[in-house]
Amino acid sequence: MNFDAVGAAAAEALTLASFIGIGGGVLLGYVVGVIPGLSRSVAISIAIPLTFYMSPYIAISFLIGLSKGTAAGSAVSAILLNAPGEASSAATALDGYPMAKQGKPKTALQIGLIASVLGDIMATIILIFVAIPFARVALLFGPYEMAAILMFALVFIAGLSGGSLFKGLAAGGLGIFLGTIGLDNQTGLPRLTFGYTELMDGLPLIAVAIGTLALSEMFVQSERLRYDRANMAVTLEHRPDDRITWPIMRRILPTIFRGTGVGTFVGALPGLGPSVGSFMSYGMAQRAAKEPERFGKGEPKGIAASESADNAVIPAALIPLFGLGIPGNVSAALLIGAFAIHGITVGPLLLRDNPELLYSIFAGMILASLIMLALGWFGLMVFAQITRVPPHVVIPIVVFFCLAGMMLQGYGTFGLVILLGFAILGYLMKKYDYSFVTFLVAFIITPMLELNLRQSIILSRGNWAILLDRPIALFFIACTVVALVMLAWRSIRTGKPPAGAPAD
Amino acid sequence: MNRRTLLATTLAATLAAPAAMADDWPTRPLTMVIGFAAGGSTDIQGRVLARVMEEYLGQPVNVVNQPGGGSAVAFTRLKNTTPDGYTFLFGGTTALTFTPIITPVEYEIDDFEYLAAVAIGQNAIVTSAEQPFSTFDEIIEYGRENQMTYAQQTPLDEAIIRSIAEQEGLDLAIVPTGGGGGMAPLVLGREVDFAYSGGTHAQYTPTGEMVVAAFMSAERSPFYPDVPTLIELGYDYSIEDYRTIIVPAGVPDEVKARLMSAAEHASTSEAFIDITEGNTFFPVVFIGQEEMEENVRRIRAATEEVMAD
Repeated sequence: MNFDAVGAAAAEALTLASFIGIGGGVLLGYVVGVIPGLSRSVAISIAIPLTFYMSPYIAISFLIGLSKGTAAGSAVSAILLNAPGEASSAATALDGYPMAKQGKPKTALQIGLIASVLGDIMATIILIFVAIPFARVALLFGPYEMAAILMFALVFIAGLSGGSLFKGLAAGGLGIFLGTIGLDNQTGLPRLTFGYTELMDGLPLIAVAIGTLALSEMFVQSERLRYDRANMAVTLEHRPDDRITWPIMRRILPTIFRGTGVGTFVGALPGLGPSVGSFMSYGMAQRAAKEPERFGKGEPKGIAASESADNAVIPAALIPLFGLGIPGNVSAALLIGAFAIHGITVGPLLLRDNPELLYSIFAGMILASLIMLALGWFGLMVFAQITRVPPHVVIPIVVFFCLAGMMLQGYGTFGLVILLGFAILGYLMKKYDYSFVTFLVAFIITPMLELNLRQSIILSRGNWAILLDRPIALFFIACTVVALVMLAWRSIRTGKPPAGAPAD
Repeated sequence: MNRRTLLATTLAATLAAPAAMADDWPTRPLTMVIGFAAGGSTDIQGRVLARVMEEYLGQPVNVVNQPGGGSAVAFTRLKNTTPDGYTFLFGGTTALTFTPIITPVEYEIDDFEYLAAVAIGQNAIVTSAEQPFSTFDEIIEYGRENQMTYAQQTPLDEAIIRSIAEQEGLDLAIVPTGGGGGMAPLVLGREVDFAYSGGTHAQYTPTGEMVVAAFMSAERSPFYPDVPTLIELGYDYSIEDYRTIIVPAGVPDEVKARLMSAAEHASTSEAFIDITEGNTFFPVVFIGQEEMEENVRRIRAATEEVMAD
């Protein structure tokens, strides 16, 4: 490890500008996390245009801080409303809401916060120690390995996103198709641009992302406007005995370590999101417990297991991103776009050519966790009030940010038209249960996959035998085939989709 | 736009503008359009240039990125802006000398005026330091015995290398890279034998990992004085690119004069030279309008000839 770069990174992380940027990200994330219906990827896709005017380091740390904030904030509404702010905190509600009903809402919130922060910091440290050697190894990966890994990631994500296999194939296929629009990367000839100069570089990623993720979600939310959650809310009162104590802390600490481990493992695999992590961790905690019957009735370990894993997934999902340049889920895919805006290509070369930036981002991530602890601890009562903001106030504000964010991109009204088109598409996909996660990841991966596949075919001169010298590529091709066969087998045999949760 | 309407607009603009304009111009903030996303070499150079120009002109110069189609999007928009000099573009000329040959676009060379070039593009052929060859002649020599691979970035460099390969009898496979960021790992990982570089080599030659085998530009680079150009090696091909200040046709003469003197000022400014020569290895120059108008049309004609093969 280069210690000069580490020192410089620490110095940059401690400037006032980075405190404001990262603190702002965490705060915004916390608020978004608390509001049910406003999800992490919605927030990131809206926030990316805001980072134009920041330095690359602050921009990325801001977005990662935002992700972390949502994961912590979502516990608040899960505990107080029984309506998780993010799908990934659904497991938190299982014990958090009963505990709050029993008159200990503040204890539950504090357990959630501490589990979030600890899971987060530990996973960030694991990321730092894993990503660096991983990126060194990944430098040996050529187009063959990249094409094979991308193919595997695509099939894996499609398989885990739920819904029927055929609907998954349709969504992924549409993503791949739309991903091929633009100038051919070798001959420079336009493909499917229909004479629009604006389409030469393909459909703008930000428009597609904001449309399918954020704006369409607002359409869905406005449909559900009549949903009443006021009478379910737990009121917070000041009670001296309602706080986390050292005995509780000692009881949940092993659970937090286990949750972090599960979350980190799940996060590092492409396609598995925090929802899988938190439910897996919850299940394992219950199985390991001496009195499993107490789970679901306000067991502190349940909250700790779910929240620590939920938060550990966020930094861990950056392992494949920083190591290979491959996004593990939608939020990570959006970060690729954010890096691109600042002229940085994510991948193994980032560590070599720009170590200061990477170390600064790591330092910023640790800083984000600490800010999250401070904000969560002292602002608990304030954030609890956000659960009262009605959706008819939230929705118009978000719609405004979607449109304003798109205008900032510089595509003019053309961008707005595309944005609206994809919002309608996203709405229909959500309505008819097509996986928009599969669609979006396929759309984002396609240009990379096409380029690497094309390079592999040309460089090998069509000779398959070359794969025998490429064991890593061969391994991932085999994995892809196995995954495909298993998916098809399961959905044909049971007529049901394989179990899974959305990849975000 | 045909010549008559062009003349009419020029006339109208000149008549409408008060004579006093020359000295007061500009009276409001200017917009510099960059046809690439933020962070690339054009963007880095453009932002420093904007800062230097605003010192000289006394009005803010706001940078706006309009990425897409290698600047084709930005040129299409620029063509439709009011020719008052308040909106101008800074960038390379390949979107005019090359893109229209292979892609239908809605603009032509005559839609714009080329006020001043302030830096010269550095297109090169690079290879890894760990390869058994390092000069262009050694590459050709090696290729006569072995199958070789080349990583392209534009159809133009592909066309040039393809015809050299035919001429020298090489068995060459050509792969796309999608830009300098994608080229570097292929070359450094020795997945390809040699590659085109539009300027990315500035990052890797100082560390000794990458070698420049030959320049595709018309002249040698002052930063690599020992590396010959393709023309010097006996191949009559070059890719010339000038980072130029471009306005839509019809801007009043006094305004053009002000912009040109601002550009000339920038070409002697230490801040601009430091960034452009120090960070991106692009030599800073000042080439006036007359020569640039000629350059753009000459390069376009030469490129058409190469692409026709």
